[in-house]
Amino acid sequence: MALINKVMPGYSATLWCQDEASPTPLTDAQLSTWTAQVANIIGTSAGGTGTGTTGYQIPVENIPPFGADDAFAAYAVAGARTGAKITTQNQVTSMTITAAWNPADPALLLIRGDGYSGTIIRTYVVAVYDGTNTVAYAFNARVGGMQWDMNTSAEGKFTFTLHPVGGNSYGWTTNT
Amino acid sequence: MATQNNVVQYGKAIQAQLQSIVSPIPVYAAFNRNFATEPKFIVWMLRNVHQPVFAGNLQGNKGIDTPTFQISIFTQKIEDGFTISNQILQSLHGYSGLFGGATHGFNISKADVFWLYNSYDNTEKMAQIFLDCTLYIPA
Repeated sequence: MALINKVMPGYSATLWCQDEASPTPLTDAQLSTWTAQVANIIGTSAGGTGTGTTGYQIPVENIPPFGADDAFAAYAVAGARTGAKITTQNQVTSMTITAAWNPADPALLLIRGDGYSGTIIRTYVVAVYDGTNTVAYAFNARVGGMQWDMNTSAEGKFTFTLHPVGGNSYGWTTNT
Repeated sequence: MATQNNVVQYGKAIQAQLQSIVSPIPVYAAFNRNFATEPKFIVWMLRNVHQPVFAGNLQGNKGIDTPTFQISIFTQKIEDGFTISNQILQSLHGYSGLFGGATHGFNISKADVFWLYNSYDNTEKMAQIFLDCTLYIPA
């Protein structure tokens, strides 16, 4: 199978996580390994091989931007007309996620438990799927910043932030 | 890079998908000549086919397509129309995957169905229900 070569709608992204109450997050190398690692977390509806016992889909309203934060060292050069920048590797972007609040949803309960614990590190995967092939972005994160917004003008919202851990703790994989 | 999708495929896929949802009720594109003799049938019309075009003179620099097709449901009994509408909503709203069956189908990221209104035409003696369905098609 060839890799996806299309412009993808935002709708094609899904968010998945390990489903154990006390998970063993993937290692840095495993985050970049599709077979038996990242694929196990992603369900078949997004082109993975996961089942309800290896990974949950998190029912998010939207996948926020993901990747790395911007960072550079700026300096001035005496006598030069402009200053200059040196790009540096900054941390993995935190993702603030909004989900419609369903108090019985197992994935949301898992995240609520992680946030309560504060120490659990879990592997999360953003999967982009065109119906045939999958591109996945996996990272390890803790949960912080949980808020429930029960504003009367709209449905109840559960908002939380996934804070990535580790220096290199993300990886790209594909199913091909 | 996104090529222009083929609207012939859209048409064939819409026809096939609707047919599979409501079978054995007949599905027509745009017009049904036999409306007087059929107690229930469906007509669809495709509109708003448009992939956004981005900067530059590269013709392939386009975005995804989000076409909408209207589904018009005609029935002699009002309840039949609601039943058919429910079938379509249950099957299509929020659906992602192969759209249009094995022969004519392609993958869509999401189908979004919007019930517009129901009505009744006294001259034709037929109840009508109108739905809009927007497709999000990777391109």
